[in-house]
Amino acid sequence: MEIKTSAFAGTLESSDIQIMLMAGDNGIQIDLESDVIKQFGAQIKHVITTTLQQLNIDNVKVRAVDKGALDCVIKARTIAAAQRALETTTPAWEVL
Amino acid sequence: MTAQVVEMQLNNPHDRTQWQHFLTSLGITNFSAREVDQIDTTLGLIEDDQLVGTGSIAGNVLKYVGVCNLNSRPGARFNQIVSALVSRLFQAHIFHMMVFTKAKYSLSFQHVGFKELAHSDEAAVLENGSPDIADFVRQLPSITNQDDQRVSAIVMNANPFTCGHRYLVEQAAAVSDLVYVFVVATDASLFRTAERVKLVQQGTADLPNVQVVSGGDYLVSAATFPAYFLDSAASAIEAQTTLDARIFKTQLAPALHITTRFVGSEPTSRTTAIYNQVLQRELPPTVSVQVVPRTEVADQPISARTVRQWIQSGNLTKLNQLVPPTTAQFIKNNLSVLQSRIQEGMKINGN
Amino acid sequence: MAEKEERLRRTMMFVPGNNPAMVKDAGIYGADSIMFDLEDAVSMAEKDAARLLVYEALKTQDYGNAELVVRVNGLDTKYYADDVKAMVKAGIDVIRLPKVESAEMMKTLVKDVAAAEKEFGIPVGTTHVMAAIESAKGVLNAPAIAASSDRMIGVALSAEDYTTDMKTHRYPDGAELEFARNMVLHAARAAGIAAFDTVFTNMSDPEGFYRETRHIHQLGFDGKSLVNPRQIAMVNSVYEPTKDEVIKAQKVIAAIEEARIKGSGVISMNGQMVDRPVVLRAQRVMKLAKVSNLLDEEGNYIEK
Repeated sequence: MEIKTSAFAGTLESSDIQIMLMAGDNGIQIDLESDVIKQFGAQIKHVITTTLQQLNIDNVKVRAVDKGALDCVIKARTIAAAQRALETTTPAWEVL
Repeated sequence: MTAQVVEMQLNNPHDRTQWQHFLTSLGITNFSAREVDQIDTTLGLIEDDQLVGTGSIAGNVLKYVGVCNLNSRPGARFNQIVSALVSRLFQAHIFHMMVFTKAKYSLSFQHVGFKELAHSDEAAVLENGSPDIADFVRQLPSITNQDDQRVSAIVMNANPFTCGHRYLVEQAAAVSDLVYVFVVATDASLFRTAERVKLVQQGTADLPNVQVVSGGDYLVSAATFPAYFLDSAASAIEAQTTLDARIFKTQLAPALHITTRFVGSEPTSRTTAIYNQVLQRELPPTVSVQVVPRTEVADQPISARTVRQWIQSGNLTKLNQLVPPTTAQFIKNNLSVLQSRIQEGMKINGN
Repeated sequence: MAEKEERLRRTMMFVPGNNPAMVKDAGIYGADSIMFDLEDAVSMAEKDAARLLVYEALKTQDYGNAELVVRVNGLDTKYYADDVKAMVKAGIDVIRLPKVESAEMMKTLVKDVAAAEKEFGIPVGTTHVMAAIESAKGVLNAPAIAASSDRMIGVALSAEDYTTDMKTHRYPDGAELEFARNMVLHAARAAGIAAFDTVFTNMSDPEGFYRETRHIHQLGFDGKSLVNPRQIAMVNSVYEPTKDEVIKAQKVIAAIEEARIKGSGVISMNGQMVDRPVVLRAQRVMKLAKVSNLLDEEGNYIEK
């Protein structure tokens, strides 16, 4: 699925992650900024990638600024950004 | 208890006083009308009825960002206010933003996802979001084996495109395989951006190795070089042009293989004269700077400002001496529109 | 009444639904109930993000024994339907509906909850509900609202909107809330459900907070809604039973035990029959004594 518009979700506050999605043509490309990138960078990217795949988004550029978010927060923010980028309001119940 | 984000109304005396006192206590003291009037939105951070942080948005530029870290985890309030500003811009579907800040705050902005475009000892300019400078470069036209070609660049506002501009482009085109003419993107001049771009394109249509493109947010834009559009102190011009030159040198020139920057000599405009000096100081040896003497007509350098004055007075008898036929035709066809813009307050004596 | 055994609900802590740090840490303060807020604490632009955040947190985080409540957006909003579905799917304990003015509104919620339970394969009846009463109409209809469904576990008074509706505002002595408090409380007691008092937001007035908490404790409220974790210990200290109450309750419990051993259907103490309200109060006091750390391992009162 292609995204319709750039969109974001999340904040830059502690324990949150800000996820921005932009149209892309080369798979899921993630540009991640995090204070804990060495320890958790791979895990954060993994959560973002799996969540996007579950939503059938294959081509997208992702800018993520992590402020120490738990996996559940990363997933919630990724879904929120994706819904906004797809301009859907109904939650994807099967992915939740 | 975390701080609450509130909207502040700078035209409300209470909010304005509170805002200005707070920023003054942080050492931010420039509250000139021409700076403050640019602001679209101001947010405040309130904790226990105290203002502990603020930040503003002007177009896609963050301004007047300041926080007090007393009784707070370092960075928490900064992140909260920047986060709120970024969210506001995103909600307004502005996905690319910039900030011009003291160099010592560059890292703080980088921690919240901004990327530094350039810095000097005093100041830094950063961007966030999309399209970014890499996207900007990618959408520019290119030629095959560009890295082996002679590529040069000119930046102009062309308000409007004159024979002087034309002469400068010809000089560059004669010694280059490709000339990028970057037209200032900020729409703050008598001739609208689309009109300026069109006149430059028409006026250089016969030169096949010239590509007329937008300067985007990166070359003489309201974000990086506000003093170009507003009468400003020499120190401000110096600081801003240094960053403008460094963005060109470190980001655009390498990506586009530009080795020469052409500028016209500047006998009249103080701002442009300082800009030329700074370019000559900053760009070599990576990029050489070629200063082309201004063409003169009847011992007077050709100036777009003279053209604008003639438009204001309606005396177009000598127009063909200063501008190419395409520009002259446009002016004649749109004289009343241009004159009414001047009457509505558009300044014509700046750049 | 939704439950067989009464649980303690001294503190219901509000947690803004779009704040990950607060959602994550909500379980560490020892609140009896945690109320994730999707309504007033979340701006319109973030309603979708808050719903997803609370959903994912409920699915993955451990909040211990706390009762988990979500305040959804009102029936008349476009967020309500997705809020209810998502929270039912997440397995929330209680859905709190704001601005309830009639039993019909609760019945609508209960119908929507049941539909969501069916859709997501959750046993019908699992999800409980409660009503926030925030207007004159709501207060006058409180008895019907409290008795509107067997999924009901409580009613809460929300004073901010209520005082506005009454053309007044909040005063330190709380006289403006007296009728509403009594009405909500009586409605709850008559229906056999819990009554929650409103929030107290002025954090710089701990004396005022204690005064108000002692007052609603005296009236008989189960507990209070809170906006700040620091208020939890303050409420708990007001609800802490006295030594006399504990000793008395222990005697009742002993009498129950004695009756059980004798196989007697009648509990008696000092030659008097002990009836059901006394038994329930004794059980509640012992529960409070236990969570207030007033008992040692053998269940004896610890002298201070």
